[in-house]
Amino acid sequence: MDTATAPLLFDSDFLAKLEQLYLLSKKLFRGAHRAERRSRQIGSSLEFADYRNYTLGDDLRSIDWNIYGRLDRLFVKLFEQEQDLDISFLLDASASMRWTPAGGGRIPKFDQARRIAASLAYIGLANLDRVNVHYFASRLEEDLGLCRGKSQFHKVLEFLRHAPALEGETRLLPCLRTFAQRMKRRGLVFVLSDLFDPDGFEEGLALLRHQQFELHVIHVLDPAEVRPGAMGDLRLIECESGEAYEVTASEALLQRYHAEVDAFLQKAAAFCAESGINYAQATTAVPFEDLVLRVLRDGRMIQ
Amino acid sequence: MTFLNAWAAGFAGIAPVIVLLYLLKLKRRPTPVSTLLFWQRLFQESRRRAFFQRLRQLFSLLLHLLIFALILGALAHPALDRQIREGASTVLILDTRARMQATEPDGQTRFARAKAEVANVVREAGALRQMAMITADASARVISPFTDDEKALREGLSKAAVTDAGGALDGAIQLAGELLASRRGDRKIVVYTDRVPETKPANVNVPIDFVTVGTARDNLAITRFATRAVLNSPQTSEILLEVANFGRAAATTNVEISYDGRLLDVKPLTIEPGGRAVRIFPTVPRPTNDGRGWLTARLDTADALAADNVAYAVLPVEPPQRVLLVTKGNWFLEKLLGADQGMAFELLTPDSFSASLAPKFDAVVLDNFVPEGFDLAAAAGNYFFIKQTPFNASAPPLDQPIITDLDSHDPVLRLVNLQNITLLHAAPLAVPKSGDWTWQTPIRSFEHPLMLTGERHGGGQRVAALALDIGDSDLPLRVAFPLLISNTLHWLAGEETSPVLSGRASEALPLAAEESVRVDPQTPWKKESASGSQPVAHDVFEPLTNGFYEVQTRAGPHWLAVNTFSEAESDLRAANTPTTGSPVLPAISLAPLAGWPLWHYLAAAALALFSLEWWLFHRRRTE
Repeated sequence: MDTATAPLLFDSDFLAKLEQLYLLSKKLFRGAHRAERRSRQIGSSLEFADYRNYTLGDDLRSIDWNIYGRLDRLFVKLFEQEQDLDISFLLDASASMRWTPAGGGRIPKFDQARRIAASLAYIGLANLDRVNVHYFASRLEEDLGLCRGKSQFHKVLEFLRHAPALEGETRLLPCLRTFAQRMKRRGLVFVLSDLFDPDGFEEGLALLRHQQFELHVIHVLDPAEVRPGAMGDLRLIECESGEAYEVTASEALLQRYHAEVDAFLQKAAAFCAESGINYAQATTAVPFEDLVLRVLRDGRMIQ
Repeated sequence: MTFLNAWAAGFAGIAPVIVLLYLLKLKRRPTPVSTLLFWQRLFQESRRRAFFQRLRQLFSLLLHLLIFALILGALAHPALDRQIREGASTVLILDTRARMQATEPDGQTRFARAKAEVANVVREAGALRQMAMITADASARVISPFTDDEKALREGLSKAAVTDAGGALDGAIQLAGELLASRRGDRKIVVYTDRVPETKPANVNVPIDFVTVGTARDNLAITRFATRAVLNSPQTSEILLEVANFGRAAATTNVEISYDGRLLDVKPLTIEPGGRAVRIFPTVPRPTNDGRGWLTARLDTADALAADNVAYAVLPVEPPQRVLLVTKGNWFLEKLLGADQGMAFELLTPDSFSASLAPKFDAVVLDNFVPEGFDLAAAAGNYFFIKQTPFNASAPPLDQPIITDLDSHDPVLRLVNLQNITLLHAAPLAVPKSGDWTWQTPIRSFEHPLMLTGERHGGGQRVAALALDIGDSDLPLRVAFPLLISNTLHWLAGEETSPVLSGRASEALPLAAEESVRVDPQTPWKKESASGSQPVAHDVFEPLTNGFYEVQTRAGPHWLAVNTFSEAESDLRAANTPTTGSPVLPAISLAPLAGWPLWHYLAAAALALFSLEWWLFHRRRTE
């Protein structure tokens, strides 16, 4: 597997920002969420959840004897079970994510996606959640494996740093289907992609949502994709397929292109809203820490 | 309609290139993008746009072709037939004199520059602007008569070559005036030269434009290179060489003299500005069997004009003297005459001799023999009597005579040293009393002449008598003997040499009926294979290039040396300011068409369409 290393992707500044980000997120969302998440399953924690009738085989220690004294019926006290959460990051590693506009100046979308993933993973690990990272393009690649605790963060970073350069076009449906089959537990899923799937992104996302995953889509884009400025006689070459397309870009044509892109973005946002998917748009022009806080908050990704 | 610049039609060949460029499409700027999804959607939305796209390309192509056609039409300078009143005539005179070979500081010759200027102007030739072309050196030659065909003019121009000849431009201007005399419409003479003549022919009433090329240059030149036979030395010739410095600074150089292509002598020269140096090379061997005597002088310098740094000359050839030796047997004389390459002698016994044979030879040597009844007054031919002579005095022979008097200035005694010669016997001679002869006694023993020479007044007949018995002396063993005999025979035969042919470039050489000359100069010391295809001149030969030329005559081949030798050609110090820009050709008289010529309208239309296309292109309406 070809690997693309980014030695300066996660530098010391980045790591310092992560800690600030974590603290800031705790402060901002205090009360709205806690480090530990309560599952809907009934467990054995100290938090009371409900009563139910005693059935044969129940632990006698869980019988509420006070209720028995008053009602003369056996009830069992149910407690919420505190459970760690599985957070999966699905990173689109196709060639389109590595594309940078002519002239450069900004980081590739893939780097932006990796930074966002690293930030969220850090927050997750700090909250004692279990974190996993997957790469995909036309198919789902090998994943990192579940990590838990801040001590595992270096492992996450190492995996992100040595991300593979995958070939082929983005195919969300087969990748997300494979992911759903591979995951035994449901949990939080962050899909970080440009959603440039020739077959459409809707079906794949709908599949995950249908499989009871709590889905967050972070739509990573480059401003040059949204508002390209090149005019004249162009030979457009798609970086994923190598397909070429000759156009004479005029102002009128570019306006139509902008309209086409805007429609695509609106369609993605609308689909996610309708499907109960948290959607956030993240361009490479925005600093990742702002994205993590502002964009994720706007997208209500952190409960 | 008439197109005044028909040459513009040649640009029509560009039109297929424009179409080809459209077929090949423009080279587009490769631009990598992350996805083509949106572009494809754009064009999938409306296929109708693709049709308009193709239509737009076609429109763009048609617009370009239309602009091109308008420009072409404007360049062709169209004129309606009703507009044309008179055509114009121009005579182009191209200076081909030797000075046009001068190189300029950029390495280009003046002639090449002039030719390039002419090539620019002949493009203007057309049906209403006919041109003729003349070259001018020593004489004027029409290389292209009046024509509207640019191709013909170019062919004529390509054949024009600069010559080594000098001359004036008057003849060419005169000829141009005569050519234009019968032409109607506007006329003009354009002269391409390096120096405008101070005077112009008075009877030429046509405007003359001078297009001057070249700048003032320094130059060294050989202005004289001549040979002559040394009269008192049959084996040697001498050379006179004159070199002039037509420069603004003193010049130092070497002059190399080559004999039949082999270096003979080198002399250094230092010449003051404007000065001359004359050098004489006194001991150049006469032509023999080993060398013909093709002389080349070459200046070891790299100045502006190379043509005058080399000069050619041919040594005079003395034909072998025909000598008849009448003797009963004289070993010394026979060997001596046989060894002399300058003589062709025949041997005869006294019995076979007849007085009628004498005129057929340059000299007749009668050894101890006087023909019966010999009468000097009636005899024809030149005689050299040895021992027995018709002039023997009645006095008794001299025993062991001593040579007391020698006339060293007498040609028969040139370099002859007769001191200490031992003579056993000698017959004293008596000088004849004849009024129409002049007699000399170059060798005397006191009052007795031992040798007598006589020359008839006006007739050229000569007689010599040596009253010695060669066998009774040690004279044959001395160096003086062959010198004395050779001197005497040459004196008797007279100094006859073949004519030395030399001329200047472009100087006409009339040829006799059976004479001919190969028109290209040759390198005679190199054995060139004679080629029958080489052009040969008859009647008149006018060489235009310096060098050696072989003239075939009835008597055999002679050599002609041709040189420039013209101070007017070599002096490059004066120069006119080079002309910039093309000359103004005579205008074609056209009736105005609503104020402007037609081509103005075409050019304006092309400009308007071009602006429109530019505007459309920048709004991506055309491609």
